[in-house]
Amino acid sequence: MHICVCVKRVPLTGGKITLTDDQRALSTKHLGFTVSPHEECGVEEAVQIVEREGGSVTVLTLGPAEAEEQLRDMMAIGADRAIHLVSGAEEWDPQATAAAVVAAIGAEEQQPDLILFGNESADAGNYQVAIRVAHALGMPSVTGVKKITFESGRAVCEQEVAGGRDIYELALPAVVSVKEGINLPRYPSVPGRLRAKRKPLEASNPRRPAAQLEMVKLVLPPDSGKQMQVLGTGAEAAPAVVAVLSELGVL
Amino acid sequence: MSVLVLVEDPADELAQQALTFARSVDGDVAAISISGDYAPAAWGQTLADQVAARAPQAVIAAGSERGNEVLAHAAAILDLPLSANTIAFAAGSPPTVTRVRWGGSLLEQALLHGSTLLMTVAPHAVAADGVAVELEVVSPSQHALAVAPTKRVGAASGGVSLEDADVVVSGGRGVGSADGFAIIEELAELLGGAVGCSRAVTSAGWRPHTDQVGQTGTKVAPDIYIACGISGATQHMAGCKGAKKLLAINEDGEASIFAHADYGVIGNLHEVVPAIAAEIRKARAA
Amino acid sequence: MALAAALGASGTLFARRVTRLRALVQSAKPTERSGDVPVRVRNEVTIVLGQRKLLQRFVPGLMHAFIFWGFLVLAPTILIAMIAIVDRHQTLPWLGHQGWYALLVDIFCVLVLVGVVSALYMRKVVRPKRFEGSHLGEADLILALIATVVISLLLWHASRIALGYNEWPASWSPVSHLLSHLFGHGSGTRVLERVFVWIHVATILSFLAYLPYSKHLHIGAAAINVWFGRTAARGRLEPLRFEPEEGESEEDLRFGAGTAADLTWKQVLDTFSCTECGRCQDVCPANQTGKLLSPKLVIMGLRDQLFSGDREAALVPTAVPAESIWDCVTCGACIEACPVSIEHVDHIVDLRRHLVMVESSFPSEAEPMLRDIERSSNPWGHPQGQRADWAAELDVRVLEPGDAPPEYLYWVGCASSFDERARRTAEATAKLLQAAGVEFAILGPRESCTGDPARRMGNEYVFQALAEQNVATLNEAGVTKIIANCPHCFNTLANEYPDFGGSYEVVHHTELLAKLVSEGRLQPARDEKLMVTYHDSCYLARHNDVLEAPRELVGAVGTALPMTRSGKQTFCCGAGGAHMWMEERANPINVERVREAAETGADTLAVACPFCTVMLDDGVQSTGDQLRVVDVATLLVEALEHPAAPSAD
Repeated sequence: MHICVCVKRVPLTGGKITLTDDQRALSTKHLGFTVSPHEECGVEEAVQIVEREGGSVTVLTLGPAEAEEQLRDMMAIGADRAIHLVSGAEEWDPQATAAAVVAAIGAEEQQPDLILFGNESADAGNYQVAIRVAHALGMPSVTGVKKITFESGRAVCEQEVAGGRDIYELALPAVVSVKEGINLPRYPSVPGRLRAKRKPLEASNPRRPAAQLEMVKLVLPPDSGKQMQVLGTGAEAAPAVVAVLSELGVL
Repeated sequence: MSVLVLVEDPADELAQQALTFARSVDGDVAAISISGDYAPAAWGQTLADQVAARAPQAVIAAGSERGNEVLAHAAAILDLPLSANTIAFAAGSPPTVTRVRWGGSLLEQALLHGSTLLMTVAPHAVAADGVAVELEVVSPSQHALAVAPTKRVGAASGGVSLEDADVVVSGGRGVGSADGFAIIEELAELLGGAVGCSRAVTSAGWRPHTDQVGQTGTKVAPDIYIACGISGATQHMAGCKGAKKLLAINEDGEASIFAHADYGVIGNLHEVVPAIAAEIRKARAA
Repeated sequence: MALAAALGASGTLFARRVTRLRALVQSAKPTERSGDVPVRVRNEVTIVLGQRKLLQRFVPGLMHAFIFWGFLVLAPTILIAMIAIVDRHQTLPWLGHQGWYALLVDIFCVLVLVGVVSALYMRKVVRPKRFEGSHLGEADLILALIATVVISLLLWHASRIALGYNEWPASWSPVSHLLSHLFGHGSGTRVLERVFVWIHVATILSFLAYLPYSKHLHIGAAAINVWFGRTAARGRLEPLRFEPEEGESEEDLRFGAGTAADLTWKQVLDTFSCTECGRCQDVCPANQTGKLLSPKLVIMGLRDQLFSGDREAALVPTAVPAESIWDCVTCGACIEACPVSIEHVDHIVDLRRHLVMVESSFPSEAEPMLRDIERSSNPWGHPQGQRADWAAELDVRVLEPGDAPPEYLYWVGCASSFDERARRTAEATAKLLQAAGVEFAILGPRESCTGDPARRMGNEYVFQALAEQNVATLNEAGVTKIIANCPHCFNTLANEYPDFGGSYEVVHHTELLAKLVSEGRLQPARDEKLMVTYHDSCYLARHNDVLEAPRELVGAVGTALPMTRSGKQTFCCGAGGAHMWMEERANPINVERVREAAETGADTLAVACPFCTVMLDDGVQSTGDQLRVVDVATLLVEALEHPAAPSAD
């Protein structure tokens, strides 16, 4: 089975977000980066599927030059090769992103049987790239998947819903977006990291089309105006806490 | 009719909020519901056909999992931009939307260049105005790629579900171990609530992912969220900002969570949490 | 003839085994243990000849010293006996005739017997816990053989005196002389004299053959092992290479110890030197608090695996259970206690390296720390941008790229930057340096974790990436002198960064502060009613010999009430070996240490390490003792700011 997983490089923001002076990006000085959480689980899922069924895993990203770090990290946990669509400093909106992904996959010699995405990226959270790619490639899709198995050439996917899970069966090739919790991504081994340095990585520089959802600026949400009431320090605060709970009616 | 709103259940809080938002875009709102079982691509096609037939200015849905999914299908079919999790709309050519990023810790202002404006509304960003609405039922269109779920499996456990709980007692790195959660569980049980945890806890293997509250976990909206030993990273806050009240218990007086809390206790959760439990028992016995 | 045959048999068995042992050492992986010859010689003299480590426990040490020195003194008697077997009237030229030598022989025979008897008493009657897991039967046999050798020698001498064969003046050997009255002058004694010498030589030859098959092999290996022990930078772990060299492939790279074939020759020698005495086990804080780990059993397990010949089996779990490996806090108490210079921590870290880097197998609760240290440059995953927040109100210079280098770079460390309790130490240190007019700066967000937790966890790869990054930052900034308040940072910066191109003059903050106090640049007021017990940090006291400076500071602010386990015998707080991020089974180490501190009657528990601060304060909170846990820097700042009374907390 040949699986393609799309990932995105996102910063690790910690407790506070600060913006650049032009307010068009996060200030990432001194921030670490990672693959967006849902997507890391997607790569782990692909690697596990291929370990069971045979095949190969390609990891793909549309991102700046530094995103190579994330591609190598994903190859260290088992992806076999990487495709790096090098974007410039500007953001790509969901339609542009999907078009770039579709073009890259279209150019592939071996077409994937399964394309995995994260349900939404940690930063922009647009919830739509996977579905756009699916329609463009003429593939069925399902989102929010927490479990994938295969039966007679179909992907059986469990989507989390309120009160349980819906089971979808998709004919392959298909597009599935997964959610964190589908698995626990493995910790990369050093032999894996060293091999990853040598695994094939194809880079290209797609041209960014004009944005249809055109970001103008980023804004920090207004302060909630909350004034925290300190109920006390240590165990002595317990009575004050209980008084609050009683007031809220949860006691 | 200028704005089409996709509604599944008109009584649903999020649907009400979406309708209220829709009214702020244009007073002429038509609420439609699609009959039959859920099939995302088919529902997306249905909306696309409605757009072709009725040429609305905008199509809106709640920013629930389903709302985002269906509108994404519609957007893909129509090849139009979609603003997901929108919180504000300003008319113009093109109009400006304000939408949510980073699970709510950041906002984006963007120009929405679409011949029809597709938007989903961020949950709890808009207060429902309670105006009643007439629901138009529409039959679903077909789509070649449509897949409907074949069956549903129910939630496994008993106990209070995290999404629905009125009280959530949540533990972070400060809890220190899987066994350490015993005091968290105790307090949750006393208050008839659910146990939550941060991403560091799931990563450490102390609790299953189903307990994780956060941007990539469960989003909760209890009456009170009690955060024990949680630092307050944005990805966690994205999961609990729906809480009406937040009580933070942390040893570090400078922890970011205190900036988001209504109430705070500065202290070691291993002392504070059992003390609260004891105090609750005392109060009930009295 | 018979002697030749006996010698031949014994010699062959001995040689065959020694050849195998040598092959095991020679086929092992390389490691650097050369240089520093004067120190090595000194170690041989003090540790081997002088039995210094053994005498750390005086009575058992003396017991062993008697037997050991006895064997040195009695060595020539082996030759004398063998010569006498060939010709009963021949002996070693000159020495065989010396009365003083015969006296020494007599005295040491008695001392050896005293040693043997006390050893038997300890093993059979007292039965200390440290022998749990040791091969006691083997030890009994060895004691029996030693006793036989010595008794047969005395009786032989006695019988020779009775027969008048003695080449030395009989009055010089009082014990043998006394025993000689047991024997007559006749043919019976003549026979006995032959019997005794044959028993003596046969026992020695059997012992010789048995020696390399038993733990008694230590008498050969130990002296060699002591020579090759670390002479400097004892806290330094040996780096691994991640790039193959000329003629090497990636598969040849060694990522720690996965199988017996991965052990270095020093590690192999360590296992040969182990006498199963169990002193390491006794001082191990994990072992003392009910955990599975016994450093002794780790070494014995590795030794047994080596001897089994199986070089493919995974050392963990075949030779050593995984749980033991993760119990270790790398405090080095085992190394300090070991009389034969075994370096247990090296073994344990090498085993961890393989588990973490090759098998990705480690306690899951440590995974967030490993990911955060790599992605966020600190083990708590806090944004680096906030690293200098503690200094916001203190007017501390943050060194920016391109700035002129400061006289001192104050390396704050992750704990003191982010942990609310440890932060007070950084604040105190900054205030003290400012008060004394010391010119310094901090790196702020450009200071990444030194990598110590990753390295002690076994993730050498992540550690090296951090080391290289920090060295680049420090070198570009032109830093020459560093003050560190965390002993782990201190150890890594001083002892380990030189391997990565970073050579700086590194002092612990207590060392600099003590110097400033002695120079009068800081003048604290002493409150003799302040009862302070000082807890030595393992990484300061044991790994780095920083003992006096913190004590001077304590003495300058209050009255010292030392704990029993202090200085190099200090008992760990429990955070080392990345345990700050791992769960602990059984009884907590920190609580055990707090108990000991409370017993001194002190009201203040002074520390010099941010990990100790957190661990011991946690311990105090759980025991409820009335002990204030505080860094010596904070005590010093309080003694400057409030000369009359220290602030209540």
